[in-house]
Amino acid sequence: MTIVLSLLTQLLHVALIVAAAPTLAGAMDWLDARFASRSGPPVLLPWHDLLRLYRKTPMPADNVSPIMRFGPAVALGATLAAAALVPSFTLGMAMSPLADVLTVASLLAVARVAGTLAALDAGAAKPGLSAQRSSAIAVLAEPALLLSVTGLALMAGSFNLDLIIVQQREGILLPATASALVFTALVALVFADAGARDRTEDAIYSGTSLAMVRMTGWCRRLVLLNLIGGLFLPIGMATNESGSSGWAAGLFAWLCKLVVFGIGLSAIQTLAGRIPGRSLPDLIGVAALLALLAIVLVLASGGMA
Amino acid sequence: MSDSILLFLIIDVVALVTLGACVSRVPAVASGVLTAVLSGAGALVCLPVLIFRLPDTALALPAGPPGMALQLALDPLASLFLLTIFLAGTGIAAFQAVTPPAPGQPSLQVTILCVAGTAFALLAGDGVSLAFGLALSCATIRKGPVWLAAPLLVLIAVCLLAPAGFAPRFDTIRAAPLESGRTTAAAVLTFAAVVSLAWPRAGERCWSRDALTAGVILPGSAYLLLRVITDLSASASQGWCGSILMLTGGAVAVLQGWRSAGEADIDAIVTALIRRQAGLALIGIGLTVIARAADLPGAASFGLRAVFLICIGGGVAGTLVSLAAHAIGASAGTFRLSRLGGLVHLMPGTSVAMSAGILALCALPPGVGFASLWLLFQAVLSAPRTGGLPVHVPLALIVAALSVSAALATAASVRLIGVAILGRPRSPRGSGAQESAAAARSILLAFAGFSVVAGVLPGLVLSLLADPAIRMLTGVPAGPFAVVSLSGTSPGYLALPVLALVALATIAVILLARRPGPEEKFAGIWADGMPPPFGLPFGEPAAQSTGAGFLPALPAIPAVRLLSLVPEPIRVLAAAWFKPRTDSPGSAPIRIAPIRPPSAIAGLWLVLAAFAGLLLVLAVIG
Repeated sequence: MTIVLSLLTQLLHVALIVAAAPTLAGAMDWLDARFASRSGPPVLLPWHDLLRLYRKTPMPADNVSPIMRFGPAVALGATLAAAALVPSFTLGMAMSPLADVLTVASLLAVARVAGTLAALDAGAAKPGLSAQRSSAIAVLAEPALLLSVTGLALMAGSFNLDLIIVQQREGILLPATASALVFTALVALVFADAGARDRTEDAIYSGTSLAMVRMTGWCRRLVLLNLIGGLFLPIGMATNESGSSGWAAGLFAWLCKLVVFGIGLSAIQTLAGRIPGRSLPDLIGVAALLALLAIVLVLASGGMA
Repeated sequence: MSDSILLFLIIDVVALVTLGACVSRVPAVASGVLTAVLSGAGALVCLPVLIFRLPDTALALPAGPPGMALQLALDPLASLFLLTIFLAGTGIAAFQAVTPPAPGQPSLQVTILCVAGTAFALLAGDGVSLAFGLALSCATIRKGPVWLAAPLLVLIAVCLLAPAGFAPRFDTIRAAPLESGRTTAAAVLTFAAVVSLAWPRAGERCWSRDALTAGVILPGSAYLLLRVITDLSASASQGWCGSILMLTGGAVAVLQGWRSAGEADIDAIVTALIRRQAGLALIGIGLTVIARAADLPGAASFGLRAVFLICIGGGVAGTLVSLAAHAIGASAGTFRLSRLGGLVHLMPGTSVAMSAGILALCALPPGVGFASLWLLFQAVLSAPRTGGLPVHVPLALIVAALSVSAALATAASVRLIGVAILGRPRSPRGSGAQESAAAARSILLAFAGFSVVAGVLPGLVLSLLADPAIRMLTGVPAGPFAVVSLSGTSPGYLALPVLALVALATIAVILLARRPGPEEKFAGIWADGMPPPFGLPFGEPAAQSTGAGFLPALPAIPAVRLLSLVPEPIRVLAAAWFKPRTDSPGSAPIRIAPIRPPSAIAGLWLVLAAFAGLLLVLAVIG
């Protein structure tokens, strides 16, 4: 019975992620516009975009390898795999033994690499520049993400996400200062990720490939938000034993978290403006330093393990 | 059975040495094939020792003064490394046999004697045999008197560990009590020997030497460190020695990672990626020593597993990419990244093999590089946290070094594959590259298969090949690295299910994206509305990325002007003191730049620095 329940929650989780990613993107675009005193686009516009792109006649670039053809699909597949591992409304899903924070971070890197290779395979100037830029940012951002998750793992004594979340929920993920530092670092990385988003994808892809690339970006943001929500605000998360009411409460808590994160991100982006490209290394550097400080703090406090 | 296997291996090594001595009288193809057969037989013979956990054995050679005959021995540690170097030797020799010799490149003799010498060193049961094998190996790959350094240093190290009045035999050393001073001196001497053995020569560029370094020298160096520091000196391990090894490894991993992401030639990128593996292996050995010193065999087993996986996977993948880089350079006429491109269309088999090797050397799942990285992180997680600041700060630095090095290696891999293999040819010579010969391609693809298997099934590889060595050195089994635990209490990295998950998601996406409708319309890349140049319907190939700009600019010193933090009177005095006074009437007065308020970013850095300082003070106070 437990296995059936865990499989059921896993399927529900994946379906929710697929449904929520474009919706959250549309809601954040609408909020951005509202904060700027404009009427804003429809919340479901990303879904319309996906449908429009799906209906378009595919126009793949000539003389390219299968990497260009399947790269966007691999990127979306790897991001969805990472999304499937990060719990949203419940713990104990079927794939929880695979839910290792290092694996999640590396699957996000796999998705980025697939996109970068597809861009380089296009063999044109603009995609090449885009690939160079994303690689240069990733050289800073990926270590910062790895440092952050390792800080949490050092506190919990394990890299498994479910175990870390359970300890955080029970208040035994100590020291709390280190936890707060990692939280700040991850939030900074979410902002850096939004600032580093490539706007030249229309020049590289078309049709369903473009739809996949956009969906990958939305899912990536949702994975990072779920990671923050699960690791630092594990309020209301259900377990396999919680029953239907527990699941409903978990779903409600997850939706509330998404709304809060969406409003918070949009508000801060409106107040502070988008992070310019030249400031991204500074922001990511600060995030990495905070995560490193958290690690020193954990080790010095002689925490878990 | 162990005795017969040891005897076979000794005969194999002697046959290799004999072949190396008279290689000039044998046709090149025949000697290459013979070397590959002898090396392959050696690798195959080592398998039963590891898989069936055959007992250790030793054999005294009738050579040397009375009572001090040369000792040869076969135990799981030696068998594991013998398997690795024989496998690499098989590939390199076979590749040399089917590839026309290039002018200025070392001959097959170097490969044969290097493999034979290292194999003899691995079979050694005493210091003299070890030094003899190393001397044979070093004499072939090092020129000048430096080749004597490594064997002499190792011999002194083993003699230091041996009790007074006894021959420097390994079994005698293990049975005798050890002083910490002697073990420290032995560790330092062994480390110096390894540095002199594996240190690159300036401007050295040679594909067969790179392949030998990846598949033979680096695993041999790791064996030396493990044998002397974790096996012979096990009873008196020093934690600080482990910290130094770990920090050195971290520095090597980051520097070589940075080099790999910035080099302009594919062979230089490959060399840097291979040497990064040496840094990772050093980190693993350091973590093992730290755990051994704190009497934590479980933590030590994680470090050892990482080292073994790096040596097996890195050895195979390093050999593969060195051979593939040579095949590409020879066919395309250049190693320069900015003059290659589109090789996936011109040399598909070689490109696939090269990509598999490169992905195994970087830190992306499901490559063997990611499995090694995961084990290193796990070793950090299980490392002892007692000992105060001198232990905590190196551990935190190692986490940072591992993360940065992984990101740099990923950037280097993307750059190499994306620029050299994908895209379009960037030069007329590059567009004339032709696929490698079938035999060479088969060797490359076989090695690519090995590295993929090691990445997808790291637990199986470790439990089959490395478990006896881990038991021998730590006394604990390899652990549940490959076991799916549905309880979630002791989960690990499960490469195959992760690969299956990604494949399932990707296939689902591809199937969802397929739809009945109009045919695809192929088009050139949109070029901002500009017509393509005459004769270049797909645009100007030189407009593609040349491989520059994949690294961020090195961060400058944070935007805090240190001088501006000093109070102005002190700055005036300091400037007056340091600036030479001129008594001439026209001399300019001393000018001090006005103090500028620090920026917001500088303020943030200051807060962080203050926090870090406070943390350090608190840690020191305890």
